[in-house]
Amino acid sequence: MPGIADPTRPSVSLDGPMISLREVRVSYTGREILHGITFDVQRGETLVILGGSGSGKSTLLRTLVGLEKPSSGEVWIAGKNFSAISETERDDIRKKIGMSFQGGALFGSMTVGENVALPLREHTKLEESTIDIMVRLKLDQVGLSGYEQYMPSQLSGGMKKRAAVARALAMDPEILFFDEPSAGLDPIIAAGIDQLILDLKQAFRMTIIVVTHELASAFLIADRMVLINKGDVVAMGTVKEMQNSTHPRVRQFMDRVPEPAVAQELDYLQMLTEQQPRQGSPSPGKSR
Amino acid sequence: MQIAARAIKGWTILDLSGDIDLAHSPAMRKALLGEIKEKRTPRVFLNLKNVRYIDSSGIASLVEGLKASRDLGSRLILYGLNKTVREVMQLSRLQKIFEIYEDEEQALAS
Amino acid sequence: MEFARKVGAAVINALSYLGSLAALAGRAAFAAFIGPFLGRPVRFQSAVEQAMEAGVRALPILSLITFFIGLILALQSAYELKRFGALNYVASAVAISMSRELGPLITAIVVIGRSGSAFAAEIGTMKVSEEIDALETMAIDPVHFLVTPKFIAMVFMLPCLTIWANSMGILGGSLFGVLQADFTWTRYIHASLEALFLRDVVTGLIKSFMFGVTITAVGCLEGLSTGGGAEQVGRSTTRAVVVSIFLVILVDLVFTTLFFFLGAH
Repeated sequence: MPGIADPTRPSVSLDGPMISLREVRVSYTGREILHGITFDVQRGETLVILGGSGSGKSTLLRTLVGLEKPSSGEVWIAGKNFSAISETERDDIRKKIGMSFQGGALFGSMTVGENVALPLREHTKLEESTIDIMVRLKLDQVGLSGYEQYMPSQLSGGMKKRAAVARALAMDPEILFFDEPSAGLDPIIAAGIDQLILDLKQAFRMTIIVVTHELASAFLIADRMVLINKGDVVAMGTVKEMQNSTHPRVRQFMDRVPEPAVAQELDYLQMLTEQQPRQGSPSPGKSR
Repeated sequence: MQIAARAIKGWTILDLSGDIDLAHSPAMRKALLGEIKEKRTPRVFLNLKNVRYIDSSGIASLVEGLKASRDLGSRLILYGLNKTVREVMQLSRLQKIFEIYEDEEQALAS
Repeated sequence: MEFARKVGAAVINALSYLGSLAALAGRAAFAAFIGPFLGRPVRFQSAVEQAMEAGVRALPILSLITFFIGLILALQSAYELKRFGALNYVASAVAISMSRELGPLITAIVVIGRSGSAFAAEIGTMKVSEEIDALETMAIDPVHFLVTPKFIAMVFMLPCLTIWANSMGILGGSLFGVLQADFTWTRYIHASLEALFLRDVVTGLIKSFMFGVTITAVGCLEGLSTGGGAEQVGRSTTRAVVVSIFLVILVDLVFTTLFFFLGAH
């Protein structure tokens, strides 16, 4: 049965966190990116994952949606251990997850409307006429009414991103993941996305996880925030707690203080002359 | 989700209960369009008092029903929306487009 | 010692590559032929589009190439046959070498150039732009969604194209036959058909089916294993073409050997 398996909603036990990470470690080509991350996300909560470039926050998000396998530790989503369940069970959970990728990741060979309709066509038995209205509703929600027939290549970067949000919303997911939703958008559009996140939380009680480094947006939408640095959780707390934190790394991030230069001259000399341990390790900028 | 139909004064009240989601909105759509298009009921009331949750497939099905009733010159009236359903309506900017009443009395009197 | 280690590593790499190819082809075949009976329909429309692209649109260039190949074959075999005064065997020489060997092979090479590379480029681009990841997060199996329609299209279209290629080759040969070897058109075609056994055509078709599997698997695997960055797409595409040509010839060798010994008695 390709349709939605579970008729009741909420479909998992109400108590307990929606997402739970236990000592999650992730490595790429022998290099460990995440060094044992542990935290919970409650049902209906909006968690913002903060971190600089190369902090591992994108990898963390990819691990949460199951695109990266932890080398050790566990990811629990909706009461199920994500890495220990069958392919079918994983797919059932994924149908309740919406993911909006940083670059949009729209299918270039399909129109915007077909992109949004795809999960509905693949996973539900809805009539085409119903799907058509749903697509227009979703596109209207992200401010893209009338763009159904456009190809992704005809859209600007910001529009692609919003179309991707519409696609992530297609199945009315219980959990929504956003990778840098407002990066590269103009302030008005970015504010629109923030408002949409707040509305979704309000109306659908969605559990929302946002990876960003836009502080203003994070303060607005977050219930709680977690700061990641070099693959470790530095601090976690409510917006207030983070704003008032005295942790140096949190302060540095909150106050936007640039990274200090290497203090010791000898260290600096060593850094300049040190033999590289290995070639071909992935660049720290992009997480792939 | 469950659907029960009642007839009043030549009109039909559909009592819905439970969740209207991806799995169940096709059934509601069928019942709704059946009343509007096939039976040509001049007024169809949807009692949403016992609906806990409606997703966008449910909303889309309601929109289809509304369109059909407008085309045929009949009326589709909703009542008894709880807070969640009302918020979903609002998010889709549809609360002004549908005829929505507080309860059955008001709806029937409209 | 160092050399032996390198050879060993290369062999292991090659074997594991073949293993991945077989796994991918196996999954695609399962989804194509068994999946529908388990309630997982294939994307038929997409398969038809792929068949149009890989098959029908290849016809003009394939026709031209195989016509020339037929003509070349006729010229080459005539060079030998003339010495024995057996010029009237030109028709059968062309017909047999086209259907058993060159029809399937040339078809495969044309399809590699047009479609194998396109598969790698298309899937590679999707990989780089996170579209494959997006499919996975939507609980849509990329193999089922992308590879299976291509697989179906290719295993049906390659044999069809091969039959067409055989005919065009024979037609090319007939041009020489009529102009230089005192054939009439009808006599040449008759002679060709007489020379052919069903077995010749069928072995060619079995080969072309296997070529279809190989080309799809290599193109899609190269696409799916594209690393980050746009320049990687170009590399995958090149690899897809080179590896496909090599493997098609390898498969050809294996099957030709097999048919040789099977046909020996």
